[in-house]
Order: sequence, then C-alpha cells, then structure tokens
Amino acid sequence: MSRTDDPDSEDKTTDTEKIAESNPIHWDEAPNNRKAPNERRTVSHSEEKDDAKKIVTGEAKYTADYAREFPDLAEAEVVRSDIAHGVVTDIDTSAAEAMDDVYAVVTPDSPEVPEKPYTSAGQSYPEPSPWDLRVLRRTVRFVGDPIAAVVAEDKDTASKAARKLDVTYDEYDAVFDTAEAMEPDAPQLHSADDVENLQPGADYERNIEAQMSGEIGDVDAAFSKAEESEDLTVIETEWETPYQSHCVPEPHTTIAHRDEDNRYHLISSTQVPYHTRRQLSHLFDVPIRDIQVSKPRIGAGFGSKQGMITEPLTMALTDAADRPVKVETTRREQFHALRNRRPARVELRSVVADDGELEAIDMEAVTNSGAYGPHGMTVASAVGKKPLPLYTHTPNIRYEMTAVHTNLPIAGAFRGYGAPQGHLAVEGHMDEIARELDIDPIDLRSRNVISEGDLEVASGILKDKEYGRRIRSCGLDECIAEGRAAIGWDDVDQPEADHLHRACGMALTIQGSGVPGEELGAAHIKMNEDASFILQTGAVDIGPGADTVMAQIAAEVLSVPPEDVLVQPSDTDISPFDHGAYASSTTYITGQAVKKAAEEARGMLFEFASRMLGEPESAFTVDDGAVISEITGESVSIEEIGYESMYGDEVRAQVMGDASHCTEESPPPFGAQFVDVTVNEETGEFEIHDMVYAVDCGVALNPALVEGQIEGAMHMSYELATGDGITFDEDGQPQTLGFRDYDMPTTADQPPLTSLIVETHEPTGPFGAKSVAEIPVNGVPPALSNAVRRAVGVRIGDMPITPEKIAAALDDD
Amino acid sequence: MEIDITLNGDDVTFEIARSDTLLDVLRDNGYTGAKRGCDTGNCGFCTVIVDGDPVKSCIRPVSQLAGTEVETIENLGTQDDLGPVQSAFVDNSALQCGFCIPGMIMRSKALLEENPDPDEADIRDALSENLCRCTGYEKIIDAVQDASTRMSGEADVAADGGRVSTDATCHGCDCLEGGSDK
Ligand code: FES
Ligand code: FES
Repeated sequence: MSRTDDPDSEDKTTDTEKIAESNPIHWDEAPNNRKAPNERRTVSHSEEKDDAKKIVTGEAKYTADYAREFPDLAEAEVVRSDIAHGVVTDIDTSAAEAMDDVYAVVTPDSPEVPEKPYTSAGQSYPEPSPWDLRVLRRTVRFVGDPIAAVVAEDKDTASKAARKLDVTYDEYDAVFDTAEAMEPDAPQLHSADDVENLQPGADYERNIEAQMSGEIGDVDAAFSKAEESEDLTVIETEWETPYQSHCVPEPHTTIAHRDEDNRYHLISSTQVPYHTRRQLSHLFDVPIRDIQVSKPRIGAGFGSKQGMITEPLTMALTDAADRPVKVETTRREQFHALRNRRPARVELRSVVADDGELEAIDMEAVTNSGAYGPHGMTVASAVGKKPLPLYTHTPNIRYEMTAVHTNLPIAGAFRGYGAPQGHLAVEGHMDEIARELDIDPIDLRSRNVISEGDLEVASGILKDKEYGRRIRSCGLDECIAEGRAAIGWDDVDQPEADHLHRACGMALTIQGSGVPGEELGAAHIKMNEDASFILQTGAVDIGPGADTVMAQIAAEVLSVPPEDVLVQPSDTDISPFDHGAYASSTTYITGQAVKKAAEEARGMLFEFASRMLGEPESAFTVDDGAVISEITGESVSIEEIGYESMYGDEVRAQVMGDASHCTEESPPPFGAQFVDVTVNEETGEFEIHDMVYAVDCGVALNPALVEGQIEGAMHMSYELATGDGITFDEDGQPQTLGFRDYDMPTTADQPPLTSLIVETHEPTGPFGAKSVAEIPVNGVPPALSNAVRRAVGVRIGDMPITPEKIAAALDDD
Repeated sequence: MEIDITLNGDDVTFEIARSDTLLDVLRDNGYTGAKRGCDTGNCGFCTVIVDGDPVKSCIRPVSQLAGTEVETIENLGTQDDLGPVQSAFVDNSALQCGFCIPGMIMRSKALLEENPDPDEADIRDALSENLCRCTGYEKIIDAVQDASTRMSGEADVAADGGRVSTDATCHGCDCLEGGSDK
C-alpha cells in the first residue's frame, strides 16, 4: 500500500520525488529472464549439490586436509593474553627457543611481523572499519588477544613450547559494559593516534568506535503532537541480545608457503579470498601479484570467515620459520578469541494512531564491538537500516547507533549482520503496539508494511537523502498467509490443564541482496569439445551450494544439463574477481555475471551455427544440447560446434564468455516467521511445537538448497532466542570454552522447523532470484518473544528467553 | 611404537606416539574423511566405528586400540557406487558445508546396524552427539529415515544412488502466467 507523501514535510517530499524519479517502477528486463515454471530446464529444480558425492565419501578437501601435500609443514600455536586489559612488558622466549623441533618463536618485535595497523574485516576498499588491529599485540584488550606464536615440527611441540613463554604484564582496569565504557572515567581501550581509517563519530576517549544518526521527516514534532493528541499513542520498549558464537564447523585454518616462484600461496578457510589478498598485500608491503589465495571446500562461514583471522599470522610465520606453516585454530579459540555476533541494546519509541497507523519510529541502538572494530560501524548501522524498511511508509523515522568498545572478545560479521538484533526490537515493538491498541498483530503489520511497487527510503536513513530503492517484488502477503495457515494461527487449541497456555507469535523479516552499489562479481565460462563447460567465478561457496546454483544459471542459458557445467573453486590466480561470500550477494550479484557470461558464450554458439547452417544468427535458439534454427528447424549439436570451433576448417575460436556485474539495486527478500508455543505459567517452562518460516526470495533457483538455508538459519535464530550465548566472569574471563559450555541445539533439542517458499519474480535478479542466505536468521527471537507474550502476558525482551525469566516476570505481574 | 589394527577390513600397522588419538593417526595416514571440529569429544565430526560402535576418534587414545576393527567413511562407498546411507544423504539434500557429514553418516550407519527401523525419536536420540551447524537437522533426520527404508529393501536404490524428483516447489504462485503449483 503506497502512501502519499506527508504534505507537511516539504523537505521530504522533494527528496522522495527525486528518489522516485531515479528509481522508476519500470525495469528493462530481458525477455528471457522471466520463464514460466514449465519452461525452466534447471533453475527452480532441486539439482544435486555439485560436491555432494565427495562430501559423503569423505573426499571433499578442506584446508587442513591439504597438510599432507607439504612434507615439511610446520604447525603453530598462538599465545594469547590471559588478562582483559594491559600491556605486555616482557616476554621471555628463551626456554621455548631452546626446545628441539621449535623453528621460530615470534613476538611483536620479530621482523617478520608487520607493525602496521589493519582491519581484519573483509570488506570493499577502503574498508569501512577502523584499522586498529596488529598481527601480534603489545597492548592487550581482551582475554584472547594474540601476543606471540610458536612454530614447531608439530602441534604438540608448538603447544608445549608456547606454555614455556614467560609473559609479564602491566595490568590496567577493564570495562565490560557498553554504558559504563562511555562514562568519562572509564578505562580507555584505544587512542585515536594509534588507529587509522577512523569511522564516522569515532570518540575513543569515550570508547566510541563509531556513532551515526539519521532522520526522515521530523520525529520530535511527531512526539510533541502525540503529547497533545488523544488519538495518538506513544509506545516505548527495550531489547537486548547477547554474544552469539558462529560455532563454525571447520575451525579457521590457513596453510601458507612460498611457491616455486617465491610467491606467497595461502590455502585458507575464507569467505573473501580477494579482499584477503589485497589486505595482506597492504599489510606486508608485498605486491598483490605475489600473493595467491586459494579457497578449498569450506566448513561454513556464517560471517566468521568474512575477514582475515589466521591469514596474516600464518604469512608472517612462514617467513619466520622459512617453511610451510599451518595455523589451525582450536574450538576453545573459536569461542573466546576469534569472532562473534555482537551484543546489542535497542530502545524503540513510536507514535501510532488509534487505527494502528504508524506516525513515528525513534530507534536507538548501542552495540558492543568488543575490543576491536571490524564490522563495527556497518553492523551497528544495519541494526536499524535492515529492519526499518519494513515500515518505510512511516512519515517520521529516526535512527541513532553507537558502536562501543569493551574489554570483551571482538565482534565481527555474523549471518544477518545486525538484522537479528534490529528485528527483535522492531518486530517485538510491533506486537506491543498491537497489544496496546487491541489490534491483531498481523492486521497491524498489514496496515503499515511495505509492498510491491513501493519506494523504500528507510534503508538510506544514515546516508544522504538521495537514497532509495524501488520494491519490484514483494511476497509478504503470501508469506503471511501461508505461514499463518501452516502454524494454525487461527485455531490454537488450548491445553486442558489450566496452568498451560498456548499461543502463536509472528515476526516479519527483510534483508538485502548484496551491498548496493558496492559489490562486483565476475565470471568466465569456456567450452570444451564435448559440450561441457568450465565456469570460473570468484563466488565463494562456503557450503550453501553457490557453485551448484552458478552451474544451474549457466546451464539454463546454454540449455545443457547442470552437471555439464564444471565450476572451479575460487582462487585469486584463476577466478575472475569477486568481493566474496557475504551480504547475501552471491546468487544475485555473481549469478548475474554468470548469466551474462553464459549469454556471451551462447552468442558464439550462434555465430558458429550461422556459418555451419547458413542461416542468420538471429534465427537460433538453444534447446537440449543443440542450437536450433527457429526458421527451418535445422539444428547442430553443441558438441559438433565444440569440435568445429577448435578444429574446423573455416574459423577457429574458443567458445567462451566473460562478464562482470555490479548494481545499485539490492532487492530485499521478505519472510514471515511463526512460532507455536505452550508456556507453563507455574514454572515458566515452554515447549515449541513448530517454527514455520515462509520466504519470498524471488524465484528459488534450487528449492532444496533454499530450504536448507531456511532450516539452518532458523536453527541459529532459535539459539539466539533461547541460548545463553557466550558468558564471562567479572574479570572478563570467558566461561564458554567449548561446545559443552554452549547451548547449540542438537537433534535432541532442536524444535521442528518448517520451511515454505513463496515464489515472486525479481526482474533485476538472474531468472528472477533474490537472496535467502541470511534473512531466515532474523525471526525467531521476536516471534518467540511475541508468542510468550500472547500466551502468558509477559514480555521477555532481553535474550535469551528462559523459563527462569518467564517465571520471574509472571511473579512480578 | 607400532600398533596393529584392522582398518576398513585390512590389517594395517601404524607408527604411533603414545599421546596420539585415533583421529591423529587416521588423519596423518591419509584417512582425512574424519574431521577435527573440537578435539574434545563434543562435536562428533570425527566419529568412526570401532568394533561396531560409534566412537569419537579425537578422544580415543590409539594405543588402546590394538587388535580392534576400525571402520571409517572411506570404507562406505565410492562416488560412483555410494552406500545406502551416503546416497540417502545425497538424495535428501542432507548436507551443506559437509564438515559434519562423514561423522554424521558413520553415526547413522552404526544406528541402523543396531536398529534397522528407528523412528524419528530414536534417530534424534542417536544423533544427538553429532552437531551440524548448517542444516537445522531436518533433512538429516529425513535422510536417516530414508536410509533405513533403503537398507530394509523397501525402496529400490538406483545405481547412481537414485535421484529424487526435482520438480519446482512453487507454492500458490501467481507471479507468472501459467505459473501454478506443481
Ligand atoms: S573432533 Fe572429535 S568430537 Fe569434535
Ligand atoms: S553440513 Fe555444515 S555442519 Fe553439517
């Protein structure tokens, strides 16, 4: 439901008109981009994942599995700070150095270790993250900061030697709470002099890494008006989420060595090979051409591998030890020393009319970056920018974010990228409005929510006022209808027992498809004689099946079976450039580059067919492995063209294509999360009967893989809603050091998950696709919180939702 | 020191250190299907079968295993001729990054050998020490149920492992002319 602009706000009207003009509804879509389901050969079919068979036989090779290829491979142990804040005054390395089979003991003073500051965040250049990290650190800012490393013949020896290092600290006061960290007398973590590439609003004296705000309309005026008007209600809520671990299955691992040309070669578990290559080049002052980053199979990333975690140290160590080195992190390090989802506190105020129409939203988020700043500004921005577009029609919106340092582990990128924290606040708040006004929560949302054809401006709230995007596909209504039916929203059977109460809760969700205007994906495809194709992309398949979807896109264009398109894993020496696997961009961005490249190759097939059959190129189409004339019906097989192109008498030319794709568009996928819960009002215990998530990701290019994304993301979302996260004692010592201390759901306690796919068609995406990898991670915390509220009347706004909190809140009532 | 075991049906002798775990020895000798996810016995990625029982190889000292029969994922089938549990995982799309899958399959195989007809609760119970971060377990449970059916001969297993029907799931779609539920 598009709403006309607020006539009172002249500023906004002008901006909106300008934005509307530059984002017209019409999109010049190529006719062959839109195929009816019965015309699709391979897209929207659940094709087998291209690595499935090697995974189930154990032959898929991950970074650590390459160790045997390096007979003189050394292994390393990282020595980490065991205090939360201080400075290392001395490291005695003599005992370790004296040990047999120890090849190097490295400290910040070692010549191989760069002094320069950098950010680990694998982002576009220049990175929108402060350069505040050093490979090894003299000043330590959390328990887990790397201060030295030992390289030895094997891991055991390295660990033994590492324990012999004698470290002396000068200990400082530490701060663990974001509110306290901003107080004037709080311990200061960073000095602005030691940080480069500062982010907007940085105020290191107050431990503020970044601070930004933006406004659409006039929020203060809306609240003043509400004070005077009987028909306007003000609602205020508060929300909180803890540290969450990625629990990434494959611990971060890097093997670094010098190849026969003396270039650095890294095999690494990374989501961002190209960013890593560039960042290593800058950090080590080595030309980009002298670094190769190869990505083997990856044991998933979820954002934890969107950055250089093990790569810089491994590169320094291979020089120090003068041999190939492997750094394989431990699960303990994964939990306390690497990256996490950042905790957030969000306050939300709104003005709403009696009929449920939103007049103003005022949102304020404070995120805990932990000790350093990778992804700090961008994630804190996303806490508001991601969910607010659902309610972009609200005439007055303000968002303010502050990213704050504490002496706790480094937060980083994590699937959803701030959106889960923001969705809890926004979608929890919507239910509070509905409750206050006695409106059905779904009706309230339907009255205000974005829909197809609308101009969306809220995602640009922190940018200049020129930013907006046209919503060209939106299946929210269908997602709501299907999810509502599947969960049984309209007929919840109350349990017999009086102390048990059952209810459904829901939340809407939204994400993006790539970072608008930023990301670049490129592809190269070439044909073999036998009508098979080699596809090279920089797309980084970290597990979800991106390579399979890329093969499907190329196969659809060329009308060959997807197994005839062989996709090569990303390698900076071989694949075209790509920003990497993040921001839900691969299908949408790189997929479009693959489509264009395949179309170029198809054009060459038509050129050959034209010569071979004596008909104009425009006469041809491809079907089932052959090029066919639509005029005469004559055809030539793609295989015949393959041989002709390479060994023919007339023209010899490699059939191939290449293309890049970068766009200002980032069409949001949409989804609706539903949770069905029964709560025991005496104990606070609750049982989840079902979690249903319905998604509109445009055309689902591989439905089975899409379902896999939904189910896996809902599992993580459920964990954020109910798990304790990572905890620390009063000295900042981590209490969560392994899976046994962490509430990751197992088969025994994971509630059932139901995934539903609603098809829409996104004209800007390859064959109508948008993204799906992140969006389903946003919904369970608000939907479960809303369900509990509807069941027993109490609101748990600080995650996790636990029986103890519910019981305590019921007691307070 | 040396140790003799039966590995995937063959008698083998490995050179070991006293502190080596079974996982260390397997991986050092090229059996890299078993993965190291935690090294503390809490993820199950390293699960193999020892004398018929599923075992987390990262916490099993190899020096205790003289004379035992060890089976790893490498013994189950080849890409051209998958075993029934493997093909069930493939056909049910029960894998993403794959890092947990060799362990998950070995655990499932051990379960199905002991209980050929498990219900969902049995499967959830048996697999509860094997984590998976990617799938939410839904398709893995389906795969184990499917494998049980295949192994009891109720379903034909095609030579290629049997591809499932791959029609689009387009629910109530009205976005295209002619677009309808399949
Ligand atoms: S590696 Fe053995 S249980 Fe995790
Ligand atoms: S498939 Fe990735 S952990 Fe299970």
